[in-house]
Amino acid sequence: MHAFSSPIRTWRFLLWIGGLAMAAPLPAAEVSFRNDVMAVLSKSGCNLGTCHGNARGKGGFQLSLRGQDPAADFAVLTHELFGRRTNPNHPEQSLLLRKPSMEIAHEGGKRLDIDSPEYQVLREWIAAGMPNDRPDARTLKHLRVTPEEAFLAASPAAKLPAAKLPAAKLPAEKLPSGKLPPAKLADPAATTSNPGWQQQITARAEFSDGSVRDVSALAVYELSQPIAEVSHDGFVSGQAVGETTIIVRYLNQQAAVRLAFVPDRPDFIWKGPTPANFIDELVFTKLKTLKINPSPVCDDATFIRRVMLDLLGLPPTAAEGEQFVADSFPNKRSVLIDSLLERPEFAEWWAMKWADLLRIEEKTLDRKGVENFHAWLRDAFANHKPLDQLVREIVAGQGSTYEVPPANFYRALRTPFERSEAVGQLFLGVRLQCSKCHNHPFDRWTQDDYYSWGNVFGRIDYKILENRRRDSNDKHEFDGEQIVFLNELGVAKDPRTNQPRSPQFLGHATILQPRRDPLNGLAEWLTAAQHERFVQVLANRTWQQVMGRGIVDPIDDFRATNPPSNPELLQAISQYLVAQDRVAQDRVEAEHAAIDQPAATATPDPKTNPKTNPGGKPFDLRRLLRVILNSQTYQLSADFHESNQDDEANFSRSLVQRRSAEQLLDAISQVLEIPLEFAGYPAGRRAAQLPGVTTTRGRDGSKGNGDADQFLKLFGKPPRLQSCDCERSDETTLGQTFQLVSGSLINRFLTKKENRLGTLLASNKTDREILSELYWTTLTRPPTADEYTATLRFLGQAVDRRAALEDITWGLLNSNEFLLRR
Amino acid sequence: MPLIDSRMIPRRKAIQIGGMGMLGLTLPRLLQAAESTDIKRGRAKSVIFLYQFGGPSHLDTFDPKPLAAAGVRSHYGVISTSAPGIEICDQLPKTALVMNEVSLIRTVHHTMKNHNPAAYYALTGHAPPLDDIRLRDSQELFPAYGSVVDKLAPATNGMPTFVAFPHVLRDGEITPGQHASFLGKGHDPLLVTSDPNDRRFALPELSLPSGVDAGRLQDRREIQKLVNRQVQQLEQSVGARGLEAYYEKTLGMLTSSKVRDAFNLEAEPQAVRDRYGRTTYGQSCLLARRLVESGVKFVNVYFANNIGGRRNEGGWDTHGFDNTRMYPILSEYQLPLTDQTLPTLINDLKERGLFEETLIVWMGEFGRTPRLNDNISRDHWPQCYTVMLAGGGVKRGFVYGTSDKQGAYPDKDPVQLDDLIATIFDLIGIDPQTELRDKLNRPIPVSAGRVVSGVMA
Repeated sequence: MHAFSSPIRTWRFLLWIGGLAMAAPLPAAEVSFRNDVMAVLSKSGCNLGTCHGNARGKGGFQLSLRGQDPAADFAVLTHELFGRRTNPNHPEQSLLLRKPSMEIAHEGGKRLDIDSPEYQVLREWIAAGMPNDRPDARTLKHLRVTPEEAFLAASPAAKLPAAKLPAAKLPAEKLPSGKLPPAKLADPAATTSNPGWQQQITARAEFSDGSVRDVSALAVYELSQPIAEVSHDGFVSGQAVGETTIIVRYLNQQAAVRLAFVPDRPDFIWKGPTPANFIDELVFTKLKTLKINPSPVCDDATFIRRVMLDLLGLPPTAAEGEQFVADSFPNKRSVLIDSLLERPEFAEWWAMKWADLLRIEEKTLDRKGVENFHAWLRDAFANHKPLDQLVREIVAGQGSTYEVPPANFYRALRTPFERSEAVGQLFLGVRLQCSKCHNHPFDRWTQDDYYSWGNVFGRIDYKILENRRRDSNDKHEFDGEQIVFLNELGVAKDPRTNQPRSPQFLGHATILQPRRDPLNGLAEWLTAAQHERFVQVLANRTWQQVMGRGIVDPIDDFRATNPPSNPELLQAISQYLVAQDRVAQDRVEAEHAAIDQPAATATPDPKTNPKTNPGGKPFDLRRLLRVILNSQTYQLSADFHESNQDDEANFSRSLVQRRSAEQLLDAISQVLEIPLEFAGYPAGRRAAQLPGVTTTRGRDGSKGNGDADQFLKLFGKPPRLQSCDCERSDETTLGQTFQLVSGSLINRFLTKKENRLGTLLASNKTDREILSELYWTTLTRPPTADEYTATLRFLGQAVDRRAALEDITWGLLNSNEFLLRR
Repeated sequence: MPLIDSRMIPRRKAIQIGGMGMLGLTLPRLLQAAESTDIKRGRAKSVIFLYQFGGPSHLDTFDPKPLAAAGVRSHYGVISTSAPGIEICDQLPKTALVMNEVSLIRTVHHTMKNHNPAAYYALTGHAPPLDDIRLRDSQELFPAYGSVVDKLAPATNGMPTFVAFPHVLRDGEITPGQHASFLGKGHDPLLVTSDPNDRRFALPELSLPSGVDAGRLQDRREIQKLVNRQVQQLEQSVGARGLEAYYEKTLGMLTSSKVRDAFNLEAEPQAVRDRYGRTTYGQSCLLARRLVESGVKFVNVYFANNIGGRRNEGGWDTHGFDNTRMYPILSEYQLPLTDQTLPTLINDLKERGLFEETLIVWMGEFGRTPRLNDNISRDHWPQCYTVMLAGGGVKRGFVYGTSDKQGAYPDKDPVQLDDLIATIFDLIGIDPQTELRDKLNRPIPVSAGRVVSGVMA
């Protein structure tokens, strides 16, 4: 067959000419392949990954994914299958029309109505002989959508507000034939949606020749949350209370429309707490718009438990809890926050979070590297190292991995593209992986961007001074010192051309000077206070660590099509993070406090309010944490009510999460007073203090019981092989409940004679005192009256008091209150 | 008070806590129903995946080439089988009697030459990024088949969807592809590493700690519920999703007999146990039958925990290293073990009426070199090898694809490994094109292969 390809092509060409001559009462060029046909292929879903956009095509027909490569699609549509796919002599006989209209069987179902404008576009293009666009044909420059954001309040169903109807919409620019039926407008009566929840989206394409075209009927609409329906022409009908982002796509451009469907709550009265700082102002402003009342502020016991788990990874001891609850000092929460931020466990807890992301694990870094790098991180947090400096030192880390701890960052990332993906994901909040093989379907990044950015890291190389690995087959294993250095000759090649692309910072037009040290340049560019994205990523990550959810969420997925749930809030905490001095910080607070007048009376006076941090430098982690933790928003209860029960994204209540592996294990150890055992570490090392992942390969040959390690793994401690928060799991599994119900560790801890239960039973304490201490220790509260009655009776009547106390403790350790952070 | 009352409850009643009827209704299951899945009615309800770690020689098992030159052809002869026209190695006489029940695919091929990457490919149906001898397991790699089934079409009868035993595969490092990876730990297999051939074989997960009987467990549960009642809203929070359901399920499995019974090999007649052979692998095959009988949907049985090949233990990796020789080891170990278990399993499933609804897959990570090496043994050969499919939805007494005269390359109807896996998913009613989402939320099809409809009955 291949041998004949040349004559066939000639024959096809003649046919093509013939088609051109016979069909087309119109000049062929008027249906644009790139601007019309490609739009139809997208609109009809032909080029989705599940259909012909699949990397292997479908049914022998392959299009580029989401139409990213019009040239390739043109070739496929015009030069394959001997003209059966597109037949200009008999356009209606073309498979391109017959299959999607289901005139003949099509696995993908019916995609086109014969009387639809899309069908007509394809038919006319085929009839015209499948012309390609002239080189000077106009190309798409911008896609603009209106509105970009809208809060749609439900209206009482009886009244149909005319304003919400798809009003005098710009008529879709007529296609050349003039034969197109007018774009179908959705019939609002046909939808079950509340009339207040309807919105026409208008998409306008701006072309290189300055022309503007309404492409609302040609664009593709995709929803982040399936709570609305979007008609063919962009008419949105909300179906449920909530927020959704509609991604509008036309050709190679995308834009986002953020819509909120606000319930009809005519009796809504704002009942939120008095704002404590600018964060509350911004959060509450949005909640008011959504007619959502936040939960009330939580009680002291819940607060100390929450803030200690969030900042230190540890629950309060019974004494800490009781003392705090009894304390009558009005500013005790602020005082507690300040004292927790200076505890050594804070630095350890934050070092652990970063160690997850920086891939601090033994196989590649070796035990010494793991311990050095981890200790360096811990010290950085303990010593208030500003976050920009921390990141600068990490991304510019070179030298001996034993002498320069942050050089281990690149020791862990062995190839240029692992490095570029990691730095992008961690510090720029972008997931570039998609654009390695094809242009990113939901973001602006192209393959060119990917390989230009990758080559920034192309010169990093290693001098392996020693490698005492145990398995000579294992090229991932390193045990011994290495020097990370810049190799003059190092490059990262683009596999499409087998040539390196000129190195460029991501999204930055300037090409790097070949002579310059790319890593120092990278560090400067990346961490500049003016680098908005970098600052936002850090601020958002910090927010997410204590709030349980990012303002942009997931926190490493910033893109136009995944907008922040509260842009002003993200902006404000970002500004706060980099504000140069005290005055500037106050200005940030004051500006935002002024937004909402009714609450302005409560604006704290920065000079007297101990909640704000005096002094403080830009990129100070504690300063940002302090303002977040002192907000009423952070301190809201997790209890929900009718108006905020469905809210996940607007911080109207505290989010409940399963406690992490380390939080659970360290708390169980603290409750039962049994130190944990990890191989190679002294007894009493807490799980949150472990520098690496595995403790079973200690060089000294020592072996722990191993069940503590297994517990951590089971509850989602990550293996640290990905530069992503997503690697840590907070899901609940059957294996976990088995471990908690009948697992070896929990049983061993409960039954060990000299644990807290043994101490309590041997003391002179009354049963009531014993139970009180047990409750305060596990749940940071005393037993309720019901609980006292039941457990006192249970303990009092027990033949085996020890067993009964074990059973009660088991019940406490397996309770939602213990397992969940709220 | 409930706590005291529970003391009055007879033990028999206490055992009913956490009734099995609740088990199908975990929240994750309700949630997954909302995701886009394409579950057709499969021809097979369950799969027994008999994984032959190390890589069996196709020329010395199911694709003999008696006419090939010395140095290529097997030292063994061939025998005719119950399927007219199908010949296999004469060391598998009992297996020959069930060849009328199975399909052989003699042209499976891929390009991974090392055990871990090839095994990962065989266990997940997705090619690894590199043919890396110590391919590192991470959540960027694909989940095991059973985990995909648990995600898309979980068992709803109180039994686990996916059970794997009696080993963890390892070649230097743990072989990737044995767990749920990016689908989340909730879809990991119930992994059993105790030896089914051990007299005291029991699931540690299904045993209560010593000193804790069902009565105490009931007390504990009551206390837990009492505490949970104090903050009732917590149970409804997103963070608590599934927690209570998992407690129900755990307690149900600890106290009810259904799951425990399925694992109780003592309940089998001695004759049946003997027929499977008193070996770890033999009893594992028997356990697999018991599990599918009780409603487990995917069972991975691992032939060995390591690639083996030097002694009469481990897997099929018979290079002849260290002055060992392949043929004596095959004759004394792998082939007799196979000939005892494989036909026994097929016949047992048939006798119990389970064969029609159970898909058996017998495969390793690759075949072995057509040319005997200097050790009169064979090395790795992914370019062409044989996989056996039998049971639910598969043709009987059938060979798909022909290898060349040496058994070196596919001659007719080559089958990519992806295609084979797509076929398996299709047979159990999961459209291989169904999209999964990885940790970065990228859509990835269950399998990129094309279904080999030629082997379907």
